[in-house]
Amino acid sequence: MESIGNLGRILMVEDDSKDVELTLTALEEYNLANEVVVTRDGEQALDYLYCRGVYKLRSPENPAVILLDLKLPKVDGLEVLKKIKSDNRLKLIPVVVLTSSKEEKDMVASYKLGVNAYVVKPVEFHEFVNAIRELGVFWAVINEPPPGSIRK
Amino acid sequence: MRRAIPGSNLTNRIHESQPLRYGLGVSTFLIATCVAMFAYKIGIRNLQIPFYLFAIAITAWYAGRGPAIVSVVLSILFFDYYFTEPRFTFYVTVAEIPYFAVFAAFALLVAWFSTVRRRVEVELRQARDHLQSVNEELARRSAEVEATNKELEAFAYSISHDLRAPLRHMAGYTELLQRKAAANLDEKSNRFIAMILDSAKKMGNLIDDLLAFSRIGRAETQKSQVNLTQLVKDVLNEVRPEIEGRDITWKIGDLPEVYGDRSMLRVALVNLLSNAVKFTRTRQRAEIEIGATLENGSDPVVFVKDNGVGFDMQYANKLFGVFQRLHSSDVFEGTGIGLATVQRIMHRHGGRVWAQSAPDQGATFYFSAPRSRGTEWNPSVI
Repeated sequence: MESIGNLGRILMVEDDSKDVELTLTALEEYNLANEVVVTRDGEQALDYLYCRGVYKLRSPENPAVILLDLKLPKVDGLEVLKKIKSDNRLKLIPVVVLTSSKEEKDMVASYKLGVNAYVVKPVEFHEFVNAIRELGVFWAVINEPPPGSIRK
Repeated sequence: MRRAIPGSNLTNRIHESQPLRYGLGVSTFLIATCVAMFAYKIGIRNLQIPFYLFAIAITAWYAGRGPAIVSVVLSILFFDYYFTEPRFTFYVTVAEIPYFAVFAAFALLVAWFSTVRRRVEVELRQARDHLQSVNEELARRSAEVEATNKELEAFAYSISHDLRAPLRHMAGYTELLQRKAAANLDEKSNRFIAMILDSAKKMGNLIDDLLAFSRIGRAETQKSQVNLTQLVKDVLNEVRPEIEGRDITWKIGDLPEVYGDRSMLRVALVNLLSNAVKFTRTRQRAEIEIGATLENGSDPVVFVKDNGVGFDMQYANKLFGVFQRLHSSDVFEGTGIGLATVQRIMHRHGGRVWAQSAPDQGATFYFSAPRSRGTEWNPSVI
Protein backbone atom coordinates (compact mmCIF):
# COMPACT_ATOMS: atom_id res chain seq x y z
CA MET A 1 0.00 0.00 0.00
CA GLU A 2 1.35 3.37 -0.87
CA SER A 3 2.50 5.36 2.06
CA ILE A 4 0.97 8.73 2.59
CA GLY A 5 3.30 11.48 3.56
CA ASN A 6 2.64 14.53 5.62
CA LEU A 7 0.21 12.79 7.88
CA GLY A 8 -1.55 14.64 10.65
CA ARG A 9 -2.02 13.26 14.12
CA ILE A 10 -5.44 11.88 14.91
CA LEU A 11 -6.83 12.05 18.44
CA MET A 12 -9.41 9.33 18.92
CA VAL A 13 -11.77 9.53 21.90
CA GLU A 14 -13.48 6.16 22.23
CA ASP A 15 -14.29 4.11 25.32
CA ASP A 16 -15.13 0.83 23.63
CA SER A 17 -11.99 -1.24 23.10
CA LYS A 18 -13.64 -3.21 20.29
CA ASP A 19 -14.41 -0.01 18.45
CA VAL A 20 -10.87 1.21 19.02
CA GLU A 21 -9.47 -1.95 17.49
CA LEU A 22 -11.88 -1.87 14.56
CA THR A 23 -11.06 1.74 13.85
CA LEU A 24 -7.33 1.15 14.12
CA THR A 25 -7.65 -1.85 11.84
CA ALA A 26 -9.52 0.23 9.32
CA LEU A 27 -6.92 2.98 9.50
CA GLU A 28 -4.07 0.49 9.31
CA GLU A 29 -5.30 -0.76 5.97
CA TYR A 30 -4.42 2.65 4.64
CA ASN A 31 -1.31 3.22 6.74
CA LEU A 32 -3.09 5.85 8.74
CA ALA A 33 -2.84 4.17 12.13
CA ASN A 34 0.63 5.24 13.22
CA GLU A 35 -0.26 8.71 14.29
CA VAL A 36 -3.38 7.86 16.23
CA VAL A 37 -3.58 8.74 19.91
CA VAL A 38 -6.34 6.88 21.71
CA THR A 39 -7.99 8.28 24.82
CA ARG A 40 -10.67 6.28 26.55
CA ASP A 41 -12.91 8.91 28.08
CA GLY A 42 -13.67 12.62 27.93
CA GLU A 43 -11.45 13.44 30.87
CA GLN A 44 -8.43 11.76 29.28
CA ALA A 45 -9.12 13.53 26.01
CA LEU A 46 -9.15 16.90 27.76
CA ASP A 47 -5.99 15.91 29.67
CA TYR A 48 -4.36 15.24 26.33
CA LEU A 49 -5.55 18.49 24.78
CA TYR A 50 -4.44 20.54 27.78
CA CYS A 51 -1.14 18.60 28.19
CA ARG A 52 -1.86 17.61 31.77
CA GLY A 53 -1.82 14.40 33.80
CA VAL A 54 -0.13 11.58 31.90
CA TYR A 55 0.18 13.83 28.86
CA LYS A 56 2.16 16.49 30.70
CA LEU A 57 5.31 15.84 28.69
CA ARG A 58 3.85 15.47 25.19
CA SER A 59 4.85 17.90 22.45
CA PRO A 60 2.42 20.78 22.68
CA GLU A 61 1.05 20.85 19.11
CA ASN A 62 -2.62 20.18 18.54
CA PRO A 63 -3.84 17.06 16.71
CA ALA A 64 -4.88 17.52 13.07
CA VAL A 65 -8.32 16.09 13.80
CA ILE A 66 -10.28 14.71 16.74
CA LEU A 67 -12.51 11.66 16.25
CA LEU A 68 -14.99 11.96 19.08
CA ASP A 69 -17.50 9.40 20.32
CA LEU A 70 -20.52 10.88 22.11
CA LYS A 71 -21.21 8.28 24.74
CA LEU A 72 -18.18 8.40 27.02
CA PRO A 73 -17.56 7.75 30.69
CA LYS A 74 -16.91 10.65 33.09
CA VAL A 75 -17.07 13.58 30.65
CA ASP A 76 -19.33 12.83 27.67
CA GLY A 77 -18.60 13.72 24.06
CA LEU A 78 -20.86 16.76 23.88
CA GLU A 79 -19.17 18.25 26.95
CA VAL A 80 -15.74 17.64 25.44
CA LEU A 81 -16.93 19.26 22.22
CA LYS A 82 -18.29 22.24 24.12
CA LYS A 83 -15.02 22.66 25.96
CA ILE A 84 -12.96 22.47 22.79
CA LYS A 85 -15.10 24.89 20.82
CA SER A 86 -15.21 27.43 23.62
CA ASP A 87 -11.43 27.48 24.11
CA ASN A 88 -9.54 29.86 21.86
CA ARG A 89 -6.49 27.62 21.68
CA LEU A 90 -8.48 24.51 20.78
CA LYS A 91 -11.44 25.71 18.79
CA LEU A 92 -9.62 25.58 15.46
CA ILE A 93 -9.03 21.83 15.70
CA PRO A 94 -11.46 20.03 13.37
CA VAL A 95 -13.72 17.73 15.40
CA VAL A 96 -15.52 14.80 13.80
CA VAL A 97 -18.21 13.17 15.89
CA LEU A 98 -18.07 9.46 15.21
CA THR A 99 -20.96 7.77 16.94
CA SER A 100 -23.43 4.92 16.93
CA SER A 101 -26.30 7.29 17.45
CA LYS A 102 -28.48 8.37 14.58
CA GLU A 103 -30.57 10.44 16.95
CA GLU A 104 -31.40 13.81 15.55
CA LYS A 105 -31.06 15.52 18.88
CA ASP A 106 -27.41 14.45 19.20
CA MET A 107 -26.76 15.65 15.69
CA VAL A 108 -28.41 19.01 16.27
CA ALA A 109 -26.62 19.46 19.60
CA SER A 110 -23.26 18.65 17.99
CA TYR A 111 -23.73 21.06 15.11
CA LYS A 112 -24.90 23.76 17.48
CA LEU A 113 -21.66 23.34 19.39
CA GLY A 114 -19.73 23.78 16.16
CA VAL A 115 -18.76 20.25 15.16
CA ASN A 116 -16.98 19.99 11.80
CA ALA A 117 -18.51 16.71 10.74
CA TYR A 118 -20.96 14.16 12.09
CA VAL A 119 -20.53 10.52 11.09
CA VAL A 120 -22.76 7.63 12.12
CA LYS A 121 -20.75 4.44 12.35
CA PRO A 122 -22.13 2.08 9.72
CA VAL A 123 -23.08 -1.40 10.92
CA GLU A 124 -21.42 -3.15 8.01
CA PHE A 125 -17.70 -3.46 8.36
CA HIS A 126 -16.62 -2.59 4.84
CA GLU A 127 -18.80 0.52 5.01
CA PHE A 128 -17.28 1.28 8.38
CA VAL A 129 -13.79 0.83 6.94
CA ASN A 130 -14.68 3.08 4.02
CA ALA A 131 -16.04 5.73 6.32
CA ILE A 132 -12.98 5.64 8.57
CA ARG A 133 -10.62 5.63 5.63
CA GLU A 134 -12.31 8.59 4.00
CA LEU A 135 -12.33 10.43 7.29
CA GLY A 136 -8.69 9.64 7.93
CA VAL A 137 -7.59 10.54 4.44
CA PHE A 138 -9.61 13.71 4.34
CA TRP A 139 -8.83 15.13 7.76
CA ALA A 140 -5.30 13.80 8.30
CA VAL A 141 -4.01 14.12 4.73
CA ILE A 142 -6.07 16.26 2.37
CA ASN A 143 -7.28 18.88 4.78
CA GLU A 144 -4.84 21.62 5.71
CA PRO A 145 -5.10 21.76 9.48
CA PRO A 146 -4.94 25.08 11.27
CA PRO A 147 -1.45 26.33 12.19
CA GLY A 148 -0.04 24.72 15.30
CA SER A 149 -1.09 21.17 14.42
CA ILE A 150 1.21 18.20 14.35
CA ARG A 151 2.39 17.14 10.91
CA LYS A 152 4.99 14.54 10.32
CA MET B 1 -60.63 20.78 46.38
CA ARG B 2 -63.86 22.73 46.71
CA ARG B 3 -63.27 26.36 46.01
CA ALA B 4 -65.92 28.84 47.06
CA ILE B 5 -67.41 31.16 44.52
CA PRO B 6 -66.05 34.57 45.48
CA GLY B 7 -68.47 36.40 47.79
CA SER B 8 -70.51 33.35 48.65
CA ASN B 9 -68.49 32.33 51.68
CA LEU B 10 -71.01 33.71 54.15
CA THR B 11 -73.90 32.11 52.29
CA ASN B 12 -72.17 28.75 52.43
CA ARG B 13 -71.41 29.04 56.12
CA ILE B 14 -74.99 29.92 56.94
CA HIS B 15 -76.25 27.15 54.75
CA GLU B 16 -74.23 24.48 56.45
CA SER B 17 -75.58 25.15 59.98
CA GLN B 18 -79.25 24.62 61.00
CA PRO B 19 -79.21 26.98 64.05
CA LEU B 20 -77.65 29.73 61.97
CA ARG B 21 -80.27 29.32 59.25
CA TYR B 22 -83.25 29.44 61.61
CA GLY B 23 -81.47 32.11 63.67
CA LEU B 24 -81.23 34.24 60.57
CA GLY B 25 -84.91 33.64 59.84
CA VAL B 26 -85.99 34.69 63.34
CA SER B 27 -83.59 37.68 63.50
CA THR B 28 -84.74 39.16 60.20
CA PHE B 29 -88.32 38.67 61.40
CA LEU B 30 -87.52 40.47 64.67
CA ILE B 31 -85.73 43.32 62.89
CA ALA B 32 -88.64 43.70 60.46
CA THR B 33 -91.03 43.72 63.45
CA CYS B 34 -89.02 46.42 65.23
CA VAL B 35 -88.92 48.57 62.10
CA ALA B 36 -92.62 47.97 61.46
CA MET B 37 -93.53 48.86 65.07
CA PHE B 38 -91.37 51.97 64.91
CA ALA B 39 -93.10 52.99 61.67
CA TYR B 40 -96.49 52.23 63.29
CA LYS B 41 -95.59 54.43 66.28
CA ILE B 42 -94.66 57.40 64.12
CA GLY B 43 -97.91 57.03 62.21
CA ILE B 44 -96.98 55.06 59.11
CA ARG B 45 -99.75 52.48 59.17
CA ASN B 46 -99.71 50.80 55.73
CA LEU B 47 -96.09 49.87 55.21
CA GLN B 48 -95.78 46.88 57.59
CA ILE B 49 -96.27 44.19 54.99
CA PRO B 50 -93.36 45.24 52.74
CA PHE B 51 -91.05 45.16 55.79
CA TYR B 52 -92.02 41.54 56.44
CA LEU B 53 -91.76 40.59 52.78
CA PHE B 54 -88.32 42.04 52.74
CA ALA B 55 -87.35 39.97 55.80
CA ILE B 56 -88.83 36.84 54.22
CA ALA B 57 -86.94 37.45 50.98
CA ILE B 58 -83.65 37.81 52.83
CA THR B 59 -84.32 34.69 54.88
CA ALA B 60 -85.26 32.65 51.80
CA TRP B 61 -82.27 33.89 49.90
CA TYR B 62 -79.68 33.21 52.55
CA ALA B 63 -81.20 30.52 54.76
CA GLY B 64 -83.38 28.47 52.44
CA ARG B 65 -86.89 27.13 52.45
CA GLY B 66 -87.42 25.97 56.06
CA PRO B 67 -86.51 29.25 57.79
CA ALA B 68 -88.41 31.15 55.08
CA ILE B 69 -91.60 29.27 55.88
CA VAL B 70 -91.06 29.84 59.60
CA SER B 71 -90.54 33.51 58.80
CA VAL B 72 -93.78 33.63 56.74
CA VAL B 73 -95.79 32.00 59.55
CA LEU B 74 -94.31 34.27 62.23
CA SER B 75 -94.92 37.35 60.08
CA ILE B 76 -98.55 36.47 59.42
CA LEU B 77 -99.25 35.65 63.06
CA PHE B 78 -97.56 38.74 64.43
CA PHE B 79 -99.05 40.97 61.77
CA ASP B 80 -102.50 39.65 62.62
CA TYR B 81 -101.87 39.94 66.36
CA TYR B 82 -100.33 43.38 66.48
CA PHE B 83 -101.12 45.43 63.41
CA THR B 84 -104.64 44.44 62.35
CA GLU B 85 -107.84 45.38 64.10
CA PRO B 86 -108.87 44.17 66.55
CA ARG B 87 -105.34 44.50 67.84
CA PHE B 88 -103.73 42.02 70.36
CA THR B 89 -105.95 39.13 69.14
CA PHE B 90 -105.54 36.54 66.40
CA TYR B 91 -109.05 37.33 65.21
CA VAL B 92 -109.35 37.51 61.41
CA THR B 93 -112.33 39.10 59.72
CA VAL B 94 -113.68 37.57 56.49
CA ALA B 95 -112.75 40.71 54.61
CA GLU B 96 -109.13 40.27 55.68
CA ILE B 97 -108.79 36.66 54.45
CA PRO B 98 -107.91 37.50 50.79
CA TYR B 99 -105.46 40.04 52.09
CA PHE B 100 -103.66 37.39 54.18
CA ALA B 101 -103.87 34.88 51.33
CA VAL B 102 -102.19 37.25 48.90
CA PHE B 103 -99.57 38.02 51.52
CA ALA B 104 -98.92 34.31 52.14
CA ALA B 105 -98.87 33.50 48.41
CA PHE B 106 -96.47 36.30 47.68
CA ALA B 107 -94.23 35.29 50.58
CA LEU B 108 -94.23 31.67 49.41
CA LEU B 109 -93.41 32.76 45.86
CA VAL B 110 -90.39 34.69 47.10
CA ALA B 111 -89.33 31.68 49.16
CA TRP B 112 -89.75 29.39 46.15
CA PHE B 113 -87.65 31.62 43.88
CA SER B 114 -84.91 31.65 46.42
CA THR B 115 -84.99 27.92 46.79
CA VAL B 116 -84.77 27.38 43.06
CA ARG B 117 -81.88 29.78 42.85
CA ARG B 118 -80.14 27.96 45.67
CA ARG B 119 -80.60 24.60 43.98
CA VAL B 120 -79.18 25.98 40.73
CA GLU B 121 -76.21 27.29 42.63
CA VAL B 122 -75.60 23.94 44.30
CA GLU B 123 -75.80 22.16 40.95
CA LEU B 124 -73.47 24.70 39.44
CA ARG B 125 -71.02 24.16 42.24
CA GLN B 126 -71.21 20.40 41.85
CA ALA B 127 -70.66 20.74 38.10
CA ARG B 128 -67.72 22.99 38.74
CA ASP B 129 -66.23 20.60 41.28
CA HIS B 130 -66.72 17.75 38.86
CA LEU B 131 -65.11 19.72 36.07
CA GLN B 132 -62.23 20.59 38.32
CA SER B 133 -61.64 16.99 39.32
CA VAL B 134 -61.86 15.95 35.66
CA ASN B 135 -59.34 18.65 34.82
CA GLU B 136 -57.02 17.49 37.56
CA GLU B 137 -57.34 13.93 36.34
CA LEU B 138 -56.61 15.10 32.82
CA ALA B 139 -53.53 17.02 33.93
CA ARG B 140 -52.31 13.98 35.84
CA ARG B 141 -52.85 11.73 32.83
CA SER B 142 -51.11 14.11 30.49
CA ALA B 143 -48.15 14.28 32.88
CA GLU B 144 -48.12 10.49 32.89
CA VAL B 145 -48.23 10.34 29.10
CA GLU B 146 -45.43 12.84 28.91
CA ALA B 147 -43.33 10.78 31.32
CA THR B 148 -44.04 7.63 29.29
CA ASN B 149 -43.06 9.44 26.12
CA LYS B 150 -39.82 10.58 27.69
CA GLU B 151 -39.15 7.03 28.79
CA LEU B 152 -39.87 5.76 25.29
CA GLU B 153 -37.57 8.33 23.83
CA ALA B 154 -34.79 7.32 26.21
CA PHE B 155 -35.52 3.72 25.32
CA ALA B 156 -35.30 4.36 21.59
CA TYR B 157 -32.14 6.34 22.14
CA SER B 158 -30.54 3.52 24.02
CA ILE B 159 -31.58 1.04 21.33
CA SER B 160 -30.07 3.28 18.72
CA HIS B 161 -26.84 3.55 20.63
CA ASP B 162 -26.31 0.44 22.67
CA LEU B 163 -27.81 -2.17 20.39
CA ARG B 164 -26.00 -1.00 17.32
CA ALA B 165 -22.53 -1.04 18.88
CA PRO B 166 -22.26 -4.78 19.65
CA LEU B 167 -23.91 -5.51 16.33
CA ARG B 168 -21.29 -3.50 14.53
CA HIS B 169 -18.59 -5.39 16.39
CA MET B 170 -20.10 -8.75 15.46
CA ALA B 171 -20.30 -7.77 11.82
CA GLY B 172 -16.91 -6.08 11.82
CA TYR B 173 -14.91 -8.84 13.41
CA THR B 174 -16.71 -11.50 11.41
CA GLU B 175 -15.78 -9.70 8.24
CA LEU B 176 -12.21 -9.37 9.46
CA LEU B 177 -12.20 -13.09 10.18
CA GLN B 178 -13.60 -13.76 6.73
CA ARG B 179 -10.81 -11.77 5.12
CA LYS B 180 -8.09 -13.40 7.13
CA ALA B 181 -9.26 -16.98 7.09
CA ALA B 182 -11.51 -17.41 4.05
CA ALA B 183 -8.76 -19.06 2.02
CA ASN B 184 -8.11 -21.66 4.71
CA LEU B 185 -11.74 -22.50 5.44
CA ASP B 186 -13.90 -25.08 3.68
CA GLU B 187 -17.01 -24.07 1.80
CA LYS B 188 -19.35 -24.81 4.69
CA SER B 189 -17.43 -22.67 7.15
CA ASN B 190 -17.40 -19.83 4.68
CA ARG B 191 -21.15 -20.19 4.27
CA PHE B 192 -21.56 -19.98 8.05
CA ILE B 193 -19.59 -16.78 8.12
CA ALA B 194 -21.71 -15.39 5.29
CA MET B 195 -24.83 -16.26 7.30
CA ILE B 196 -23.55 -14.46 10.36
CA LEU B 197 -22.89 -11.41 8.26
CA ASP B 198 -26.28 -11.63 6.60
CA SER B 199 -28.02 -11.86 9.96
CA ALA B 200 -26.08 -8.95 11.37
CA LYS B 201 -27.13 -6.90 8.38
CA LYS B 202 -30.76 -7.88 8.86
CA MET B 203 -30.59 -6.96 12.51
CA GLY B 204 -29.13 -3.61 11.54
CA ASN B 205 -32.02 -2.99 9.17
CA LEU B 206 -34.46 -4.05 11.84
CA ILE B 207 -33.05 -1.58 14.34
CA ASP B 208 -33.09 1.20 11.75
CA ASP B 209 -36.67 0.48 10.73
CA LEU B 210 -37.84 0.22 14.30
CA LEU B 211 -36.21 3.53 15.14
CA ALA B 212 -37.75 5.16 12.08
CA PHE B 213 -41.12 3.78 13.17
CA SER B 214 -40.78 5.13 16.68
CA ARG B 215 -39.57 8.46 15.36
CA ILE B 216 -42.76 8.86 13.32
CA GLY B 217 -44.70 8.67 16.56
CA ARG B 218 -42.47 11.11 18.40
CA ALA B 219 -41.63 13.72 15.78
CA GLU B 220 -43.61 16.92 15.38
CA THR B 221 -45.38 17.11 12.05
CA GLN B 222 -44.54 20.09 9.88
CA LYS B 223 -47.39 20.44 7.47
CA SER B 224 -47.50 22.31 4.21
CA GLN B 225 -48.93 21.92 0.71
CA VAL B 226 -47.17 18.97 -0.88
CA ASN B 227 -47.14 18.33 -4.61
CA LEU B 228 -47.57 14.55 -4.82
CA THR B 229 -46.51 14.34 -8.48
CA GLN B 230 -43.16 15.87 -7.60
CA LEU B 231 -42.86 13.73 -4.47
CA VAL B 232 -43.52 10.52 -6.42
CA LYS B 233 -40.80 11.53 -8.90
CA ASP B 234 -38.33 12.02 -6.05
CA VAL B 235 -39.30 8.71 -4.50
CA LEU B 236 -38.91 6.90 -7.82
CA ASN B 237 -35.36 8.21 -8.00
CA GLU B 238 -34.78 6.84 -4.55
CA VAL B 239 -36.02 3.33 -5.33
CA ARG B 240 -34.21 3.24 -8.69
CA PRO B 241 -31.29 1.14 -7.39
CA GLU B 242 -33.79 -1.53 -6.35
CA ILE B 243 -35.25 -1.79 -9.85
CA GLU B 244 -32.02 -2.13 -11.75
CA GLY B 245 -32.44 -4.85 -14.35
CA ARG B 246 -36.16 -5.20 -13.79
CA ASP B 247 -38.82 -4.78 -16.42
CA ILE B 248 -41.32 -2.46 -14.81
CA THR B 249 -44.04 -0.45 -16.50
CA TRP B 250 -44.86 2.61 -14.43
CA LYS B 251 -48.21 4.29 -14.88
CA ILE B 252 -48.44 7.56 -13.06
CA GLY B 253 -51.79 9.31 -13.19
CA ASP B 254 -52.83 12.76 -12.13
CA LEU B 255 -51.88 13.27 -8.52
CA PRO B 256 -53.34 15.95 -6.30
CA GLU B 257 -51.65 18.45 -4.09
CA VAL B 258 -52.20 17.49 -0.47
CA TYR B 259 -51.66 19.09 2.89
CA GLY B 260 -49.23 17.18 5.11
CA ASP B 261 -45.73 16.61 6.40
CA ARG B 262 -43.57 16.27 3.32
CA SER B 263 -40.87 14.06 4.80
CA MET B 264 -43.38 11.74 6.44
CA LEU B 265 -45.46 11.44 3.26
CA ARG B 266 -42.23 10.69 1.44
CA VAL B 267 -41.43 7.85 3.86
CA ALA B 268 -44.94 6.49 3.32
CA LEU B 269 -44.59 6.60 -0.47
CA VAL B 270 -41.12 5.04 -0.37
CA ASN B 271 -42.56 2.16 1.63
CA LEU B 272 -45.56 1.68 -0.64
CA LEU B 273 -43.55 1.90 -3.86
CA SER B 274 -40.72 -0.35 -2.74
CA ASN B 275 -43.34 -2.84 -1.56
CA ALA B 276 -44.90 -2.78 -5.02
CA VAL B 277 -41.45 -3.26 -6.55
CA LYS B 278 -40.61 -6.06 -4.15
CA PHE B 279 -43.79 -8.09 -4.51
CA THR B 280 -43.77 -7.94 -8.32
CA ARG B 281 -40.29 -9.41 -8.46
CA THR B 282 -41.56 -12.79 -9.56
CA ARG B 283 -43.37 -11.22 -12.54
CA GLN B 284 -41.78 -11.20 -15.96
CA ARG B 285 -43.18 -7.77 -16.55
CA ALA B 286 -44.20 -5.77 -13.53
CA GLU B 287 -46.90 -3.13 -13.75
CA ILE B 288 -47.16 -0.52 -11.08
CA GLU B 289 -49.75 2.23 -11.21
CA ILE B 290 -49.93 5.28 -9.01
CA GLY B 291 -53.04 7.37 -9.21
CA ALA B 292 -55.74 9.17 -7.33
CA THR B 293 -59.50 9.24 -7.24
CA LEU B 294 -60.69 12.79 -7.04
CA GLU B 295 -64.25 13.35 -6.06
CA ASN B 296 -65.71 16.77 -5.59
CA GLY B 297 -66.02 17.73 -1.97
CA SER B 298 -64.15 14.80 -0.52
CA ASP B 299 -60.47 14.31 0.10
CA PRO B 300 -58.48 12.63 -2.62
CA VAL B 301 -57.65 8.95 -2.24
CA VAL B 302 -54.25 7.95 -3.59
CA PHE B 303 -53.60 4.38 -4.67
CA VAL B 304 -50.58 2.27 -5.55
CA LYS B 305 -51.54 -0.72 -7.63
CA ASP B 306 -49.31 -3.60 -8.64
CA ASN B 307 -49.64 -6.92 -10.46
CA GLY B 308 -47.51 -8.78 -7.91
CA VAL B 309 -48.12 -11.82 -5.77
CA GLY B 310 -50.85 -10.16 -3.70
CA PHE B 311 -52.19 -11.59 -0.48
CA ASP B 312 -55.23 -13.28 0.97
CA MET B 313 -57.71 -10.69 2.27
CA GLN B 314 -58.36 -12.80 5.37
CA TYR B 315 -54.97 -11.65 6.65
CA ALA B 316 -55.59 -8.01 5.75
CA ASN B 317 -55.91 -7.06 9.41
CA LYS B 318 -52.35 -8.23 10.04
CA LEU B 319 -50.97 -6.25 7.15
CA PHE B 320 -50.31 -3.05 9.07
CA GLY B 321 -49.08 -4.54 12.36
CA VAL B 322 -45.49 -4.16 13.50
CA PHE B 323 -43.36 -7.21 12.66
CA GLN B 324 -46.26 -8.77 10.79
CA ARG B 325 -45.33 -10.49 7.58
CA LEU B 326 -47.51 -12.34 5.11
CA HIS B 327 -44.62 -13.87 3.19
CA SER B 328 -41.62 -15.81 4.40
CA SER B 329 -38.56 -13.65 4.70
CA ASP B 330 -36.64 -16.11 2.53
CA VAL B 331 -38.92 -15.34 -0.40
CA PHE B 332 -39.42 -11.62 0.16
CA GLU B 333 -36.96 -9.95 2.48
CA GLY B 334 -38.06 -7.24 4.88
CA THR B 335 -38.52 -6.38 8.50
CA GLY B 336 -42.30 -6.22 8.70
CA ILE B 337 -42.28 -2.63 9.84
CA GLY B 338 -42.79 -0.76 6.56
CA LEU B 339 -46.58 -0.86 6.38
CA ALA B 340 -46.87 -0.25 10.12
CA THR B 341 -44.88 2.92 9.51
CA VAL B 342 -47.16 3.89 6.63
CA GLN B 343 -50.20 3.42 8.82
CA ARG B 344 -48.70 5.43 11.63
CA ILE B 345 -47.91 8.26 9.23
CA MET B 346 -51.47 8.28 7.92
CA HIS B 347 -52.86 8.24 11.45
CA ARG B 348 -50.68 11.18 12.34
CA HIS B 349 -52.29 12.99 9.43
CA GLY B 350 -55.72 11.96 10.64
CA GLY B 351 -56.17 9.75 7.61
CA ARG B 352 -56.03 6.03 6.99
CA VAL B 353 -54.55 3.40 4.76
CA TRP B 354 -56.12 0.20 3.52
CA ALA B 355 -55.56 -2.47 0.92
CA GLN B 356 -57.37 -4.65 -1.57
CA SER B 357 -55.92 -7.85 -2.95
CA ALA B 358 -56.27 -11.53 -3.76
CA PRO B 359 -53.52 -14.14 -3.92
CA ASP B 360 -51.63 -13.88 -7.19
CA GLN B 361 -53.90 -11.05 -8.39
CA GLY B 362 -51.76 -8.09 -7.40
CA ALA B 363 -52.47 -5.67 -4.60
CA THR B 364 -53.76 -2.12 -4.35
CA PHE B 365 -52.93 0.11 -1.41
CA TYR B 366 -55.02 3.20 -0.79
CA PHE B 367 -54.53 6.15 1.48
CA SER B 368 -56.65 9.22 2.04
CA ALA B 369 -54.98 12.61 2.06
CA PRO B 370 -56.34 16.02 2.99
CA ARG B 371 -56.46 18.42 0.07
CA SER B 372 -55.65 21.51 2.06
CA ARG B 373 -55.35 22.83 5.56
CA GLY B 374 -58.53 22.49 7.53
CA THR B 375 -60.36 20.11 5.21
CA GLU B 376 -61.49 17.04 7.02
CA TRP B 377 -60.11 13.68 6.11
CA ASN B 378 -62.69 11.57 4.46
CA PRO B 379 -62.22 8.00 5.53
CA SER B 380 -64.40 6.67 2.73
CA VAL B 381 -63.90 3.01 1.99
CA ILE B 382 -63.59 1.82 -1.56
